[in-house]
Amino acid sequence: MNYETDEEKVEAIKKWWKDNGLSVIAGAAIGIGAIFGWRLWVGHQESTASEASIAFEQLLLDAAGNQPDAVASQAGMLQDEFGSTPYPALGSLVAAKTLYMAGKPVEAMASLQTVIDKAPDPALARIAALRLARIQVSENQLDEAEKTLKAHDTSPAFAGEFAAVRGDIAVARGDLAAARAAYQQAIEQGSSLSQLLRLKIDNLPAAG
Amino acid sequence: MLQTIRDRAQGWIAWVIVILISIPFALWGIQSYMGVGGEPIAATVNGFEIPARDLDRQVQEARFELRERLGAAYDPAEFDDKRLRAEVLDNLIQEALLMDVVRRLGLRASDQDVQMQILSDPSFLSDGRFDKEIYERLLGFQGMTPAMYEAQLRQKMTATQLLRAVSASEFATRSELALHQRLMGQKRELSYVRFPIADYRSDAPIDEAEVTAYYEANAGRFQTPEQVKVDYLLLDTDSLMSKVEVSEKDLRDFYDADRSRFVQPERRGVRHLLIKVAADADEAGANAVLEEIKGIRERILAGESFEELARTLSQDPGSAANGGSLGVIESGIMVPAFDQVAFSLPTGEVSEAVRTPFGYHLIQVTEVLPSEAKPFEAVRDELRSELSKQRAEGLFYDLGERLANISYESRDSLEPAAEELGLTIQQSDWIGREASGEGILAQPKVIAAAFSEDVLVARHNSDLIEPERDRLQAVVLRVAEHRETSTKPLSEVRDEIVAELRDEKAKKEVMAAAESLAEKLRGGLDWAEGSASLKPEAPGLVDREAAEVPGAVLDTAFKLPIPAEGMASVGTTMIDTGDAAVVRVTKIQDGEVKTPGEGVVAPEAFMLTQVMGRQTYTNMLRDLEVRAAIKRKAIDADEAL
Repeated sequence: MNYETDEEKVEAIKKWWKDNGLSVIAGAAIGIGAIFGWRLWVGHQESTASEASIAFEQLLLDAAGNQPDAVASQAGMLQDEFGSTPYPALGSLVAAKTLYMAGKPVEAMASLQTVIDKAPDPALARIAALRLARIQVSENQLDEAEKTLKAHDTSPAFAGEFAAVRGDIAVARGDLAAARAAYQQAIEQGSSLSQLLRLKIDNLPAAG
Repeated sequence: MLQTIRDRAQGWIAWVIVILISIPFALWGIQSYMGVGGEPIAATVNGFEIPARDLDRQVQEARFELRERLGAAYDPAEFDDKRLRAEVLDNLIQEALLMDVVRRLGLRASDQDVQMQILSDPSFLSDGRFDKEIYERLLGFQGMTPAMYEAQLRQKMTATQLLRAVSASEFATRSELALHQRLMGQKRELSYVRFPIADYRSDAPIDEAEVTAYYEANAGRFQTPEQVKVDYLLLDTDSLMSKVEVSEKDLRDFYDADRSRFVQPERRGVRHLLIKVAADADEAGANAVLEEIKGIRERILAGESFEELARTLSQDPGSAANGGSLGVIESGIMVPAFDQVAFSLPTGEVSEAVRTPFGYHLIQVTEVLPSEAKPFEAVRDELRSELSKQRAEGLFYDLGERLANISYESRDSLEPAAEELGLTIQQSDWIGREASGEGILAQPKVIAAAFSEDVLVARHNSDLIEPERDRLQAVVLRVAEHRETSTKPLSEVRDEIVAELRDEKAKKEVMAAAESLAEKLRGGLDWAEGSASLKPEAPGLVDREAAEVPGAVLDTAFKLPIPAEGMASVGTTMIDTGDAAVVRVTKIQDGEVKTPGEGVVAPEAFMLTQVMGRQTYTNMLRDLEVRAAIKRKAIDADEAL
């Protein structure tokens, strides 16, 4: 397009602004809003995580002081108020130990189940499942333990530890050959308890 | 003309130019986002890059640490640099993985905790309080701003939080603990019979074909390694000390120049009587003590014995029993207020009350040993050895330099250097690459030099070698003789082989004898039924640590399967001495299961939990690693330091 005079040019610009001005302003507003919103959101996320972190540290303190009631209520508080953070899972993991040591295996198992359900990372779920299965073996719930193992024995990193628990289940059922094989597998996978596992193998009654 | 530009500027050519110009502006700095042409990367972990620079730095640090730890034993030439790099890189990757999972999960150590950590870090304290200036200066040294440091610290603390959540929450279940106690405390009732190997040795001739076969099959064992004999010139201060001359006048000058060294300062025998003033006492309290001690002083002046009163009244438990005596002391040992009085008081007098941080003292000087100077004659020998050592060191550096020069200039012989410096050429016996020489010839650096290409192949003199940094010893060597790896002839090793074969046969036979008895016993026979002439040893019920039973027997006994009621498990083993043994286990008694009281953790449980906790953490990292996208760049060893 060619304009004859400057006035015409000004006219054209004014017209363009009339047609598109609103979109330009709206676009700019949305852009700036998005940036601010994002920063607010990140800030909010961080401060929530920080608060959850403080609550979790408190829980660790209570756990170190062996106060199962305080630990349980702190774990509940984490669930209720900081569900968007990974801390409830960590809290329940720690709470499970305190509860178990205080002679409350049922509550401990429930706590571990929570970790499995809400685990922010599969590794945490596997750790919790392993511990759950071990308590189940100790409580003589062998079928449940087997089910727990089957559902979560999916990573080579934990294979040795899972195999060791399978061995314990087999011993409890009197299936010595399976126990021997499972313990052997656990040793081969490089379990740090290999010495104890060898003792367990040596302690099996003569086959046949 | 402007009008022409204006007109043309409307055309498409103008647009092309504008676009071309704008490209560099638009893309300016983009390489830092894309990683194009950026710095070299050692590895990427889930998209996070580990710069090669970080790896290099950490490898250097690791190397430095090794050198600190190993001291003189550290030999860079022997060190596998590639392996070290790989190890350090593995660590960095694990760290990155951990940081990545912490970020991905959204864990975050709180500001409050980070702040606490910084405030209580001992490196930032001055006079027991956090000092902002020190904090900023220390960070400055590492090229960091407080914000950077805090971010880094937060990452570390957050990772630790995850670690604690995972390993500190580990536990041993009741049945695991019980089993552990039963197994570790288990006792087994065993008896065993020894078959001495000596009974199975024979001097029967060994078939020649067997000897040859053994020789050929084990040729590697009969090799002599590559060896050299070296000629060398050794410089060390010990031998140089006998060469330096020290005149009587030198000694006297030396003594005069440093007289204060030989003066023993004044010493005094001191006794005291202390009445303590509590650290938090107010003025009135202190005054009460002062009055009390003044009273005691009056009593002494009135004729009572200082010693007696100190024994009964002094509150210094260390000295009260000795009548307050502190023995003979030098100035500067006690607190200043005490010191000053003790070293100005005439003998026998009782001081006024002296205030120190401990409380009020009365002091009495029992004897004064005046300062005295050791006469020249008394220290002459000491001075002589010191001075000749000093001179020998000077001589060492001087000769060392000349030795290095001469042996380099005429590098086909040690003679010129030996002649010029008055040293004797020494000869070594055969030495191999595996330090087999003695004294200085066992030093890795010396051996490395003897087998270096320049010395071994070109037959030049070596450089001047100083094997241990702190010891003034230096050596130049050249290879006199060299022999390659060779296999010893059969004739030389026949006796060795025959002995070996006889030993093998004896072992086979003694084990066969043990095995045949074991077979009978497995059939259900008792020792006596198995063979009447046997004398079994029966230590009875023993635990895993029993010292009275040979290790191999104990090991076998605890590995045998559990015998059924009234039956026995039987096994055979070979004891270190070569004797065979038949082991019979008749009973197993499990360790006692102790149920700990409420809230008490059994020590076994604690240990078990620790081991399992660490394992869990390692497993978690491995699990993360398996799932992560990790790319390692080829590892090239950088130049050695």
